[in-house]
Amino acid sequence: MKPLIQFDRTWHEKFFKRINEDGPWTKSELFSLAYLAEKERSVPSFHGLIAPRRLPQLKLHPHQIETARMVIEDMHGKAILADEVGLGKTIEAGLIIKEYMIRGLVKKVLILVPASLVLQWVSELNTKFYIPAVPQRKAYVWSQCDIVVSSIDTAKRQPHHDIIMEQDYDLIIIDEAHKLKNHKTKNYQFVQTLKKKFCLLLTATPIQNRLSEIFYLVSLLKPGYLGDAESFSKNFKSGTRSVKNEDTLKALVNQVMVRNRREDTGLHWPKRIIKSFDIPFSEAEQTFYESLSELKENGIIQPFSLLTLQREACSSREAAFVTLNKIYKSTAHPMNERLWHNLFDKLNRVNQNAKANKTLELIKQINDKVIIFTEYRATQLYLQWFLKKNDISSVPFSGGFRRNKKDWMRMLFQNKVQVLIATEAGGEGINLQFASHMINYDLPWNPMRIEQRIGRIHRLGQENDVHIYNFATRGTVESHILHLLYNKIHLFEQVIGDLDKILTHIDLKNVDQQVTQIFEESESDGEIKVKLDNLSSVINFEQNQLEERDHHAASGNS
Amino acid sequence: MQQAEIRDFLIRFFSSSECTLLPVDNQTQLKVKLTKQMDKLLMNRPFYWHYIEQIGAVPETATLTFRFDDQIDEGEFIHFGSPRLHQIFNTAEEMGRYIRLYQVLPSQAAPALEPWLGLNMKVSYQCDLKKDRLISIGLQLVNGVLIEGFQSMLGKLELIQKLPDYCYTLSPLITVKSGIQRIERFIASELETEPYEWADQASERWKKDEDLLDAFYEQEEEKPDRYNQEKKALEEQYKPRITIRLVNAGLFYLQSSTFMPQFIKDR
Repeated sequence: MKPLIQFDRTWHEKFFKRINEDGPWTKSELFSLAYLAEKERSVPSFHGLIAPRRLPQLKLHPHQIETARMVIEDMHGKAILADEVGLGKTIEAGLIIKEYMIRGLVKKVLILVPASLVLQWVSELNTKFYIPAVPQRKAYVWSQCDIVVSSIDTAKRQPHHDIIMEQDYDLIIIDEAHKLKNHKTKNYQFVQTLKKKFCLLLTATPIQNRLSEIFYLVSLLKPGYLGDAESFSKNFKSGTRSVKNEDTLKALVNQVMVRNRREDTGLHWPKRIIKSFDIPFSEAEQTFYESLSELKENGIIQPFSLLTLQREACSSREAAFVTLNKIYKSTAHPMNERLWHNLFDKLNRVNQNAKANKTLELIKQINDKVIIFTEYRATQLYLQWFLKKNDISSVPFSGGFRRNKKDWMRMLFQNKVQVLIATEAGGEGINLQFASHMINYDLPWNPMRIEQRIGRIHRLGQENDVHIYNFATRGTVESHILHLLYNKIHLFEQVIGDLDKILTHIDLKNVDQQVTQIFEESESDGEIKVKLDNLSSVINFEQNQLEERDHHAASGNS
Repeated sequence: MQQAEIRDFLIRFFSSSECTLLPVDNQTQLKVKLTKQMDKLLMNRPFYWHYIEQIGAVPETATLTFRFDDQIDEGEFIHFGSPRLHQIFNTAEEMGRYIRLYQVLPSQAAPALEPWLGLNMKVSYQCDLKKDRLISIGLQLVNGVLIEGFQSMLGKLELIQKLPDYCYTLSPLITVKSGIQRIERFIASELETEPYEWADQASERWKKDEDLLDAFYEQEEEKPDRYNQEKKALEEQYKPRITIRLVNAGLFYLQSSTFMPQFIKDR
């Protein structure tokens, strides 16, 4: 096909006007400089990347540059970026935007990210790439600004939705795109209606449970690439999870997806140094912990609630109190009054927290930034108060915070205070790689949550070895979890991302439920031990299988 | 563009736009006091200028300090990717768009100067990829001689903004308007003869994606809006095209015998 030839003639009139009016004319030197400026900015080849040379202060890794090149040259600007967590997908996306902008292929860009990440994206694009991105704050931003970052939830609402549909975007980027795997959701349908000349979908977990998820993700990018829903399931599906013609599907998907793995990047990753502490209760705490069983023995609570209470008691009496108080109010009966009185009395006698003392000792010893993770809001408050009393200032961090508050807390932690106390890893993205010490004050029963916690600091940009301190109260449910399960499956040493694959493969997404069941149904410590052992063996077995397969795949170059 | 070349560019730019270069201790810095015009163009502070002009005060124009080394502290680090440099590039292009110049002839030469139309154009080849090249063409407006590489030829001549006293200019037989048309026709015919595998390949990619799209919506009798939208997006993504836009243009009064005939290309 012969290319269309188009001359821009809008300048003619201006030139004729100057000829008629005898000026104004520029100077010889400026005329030459104008030509020189344009010459320097011309891009002489279709191939290769210009952007890295224009970002001298940004340290790019070879896999990031290669990814950007592949997306532009081999995938024609429509791709799923699926690097493992922490390899810099944002950097790759930034590099691609930059390259397209330099070449003049892209002017208007829409970037849809989780609300909590909007400002982080804006700041990275501006400071690292000199890309003038702005957060969407007012309705006029959509049309007035070329590069806009927003959350999908805002974008799909009116009046924004209609304004966005009127814009002519050259490039659309969607972060955390695995959330679009369900084609029936509003978010999916919204993204589907956007015009996509170039489009990047970013996700760390591209192929999860169902085969159809990858189908719907790819169909957003390139409708028809994997056929229509019917032909896709005919060709590749056998049951909900198993695949037929796996190699064909893999080869197809690999042409629209880049997935860099840690081990392939050849980067030096900081070491993880893991220390576990078995912390004995103080006497008062021990007494209180043991007396909780009386509630079950007297039929006031179910085994499940006892387990919850015990876990809370391992964290802090404050955490246990919240639940206890609730149960008390709903089950109060004159017959139980003595028992309750006794229990609260024991709670009141707890005058120190063994774990908090250990925390204080560690923080002083570390003498550097420390992140503390706890499962409970009450413990978070207590710790903040406790540390303050000991002249250590800290900031709280919770998933429920608004975007601004999250950013503010992160800034305070980075610049002002030594300790950040978080109740959750926030699933996606706050990056805390400027800190390298983390205390797991209590342990979630879902090992994926541990991974997410570690992922906050063990990522690209972390320059120090990462220290992880795990607390478990001796002789409690918590120490079972730590010693009989987490340590056995090498949870804390795991490469981020692997665990997810393993659990998905053995259909064990709800480890926490499994574990709860084990504790509830076992009659003795011995039984708990055997069952947890079984669980860890299954996970370990799958892990070995996976390693073998990966090894196989790597040598087979598939 | 290397740091030294950038420095050279900035010195030339600020000198020719009448800003004052201030003394600095070393080669890795450049300090410049802006003129009012340049302050307005570069500093983006319309309210300040509005205010100063309203009250009729003496303005204090900005002083910019650039550094070419990222190891030192003082000044704005400037490199080929910095937005400031591109702002200056844009300003230079805006300011240096149209020109008229006369050649200064050696004293023994005949006093007649021929009119030339000179166009610097940027040719961009675009599909889902893009590349450009600059072409510089001069057209003699009396006999229609056309030469390429006009800009670099100009660099070898001594040119001034006013007609030298002892010279006169010949009247053009070709108008500027039709001169532009001749140059466009020349460029177009050159482009037609160029190989266009790149465009063929882009069309193949386009066709392939379009076929997939058609198959995806084959079952639906009434095609949804997003089908047409995707189709349009594919066209924008892949459709091969060559665009030609102006970098700068000028009228030049020259004597061909001082630089011809080795450049003759076409008639």
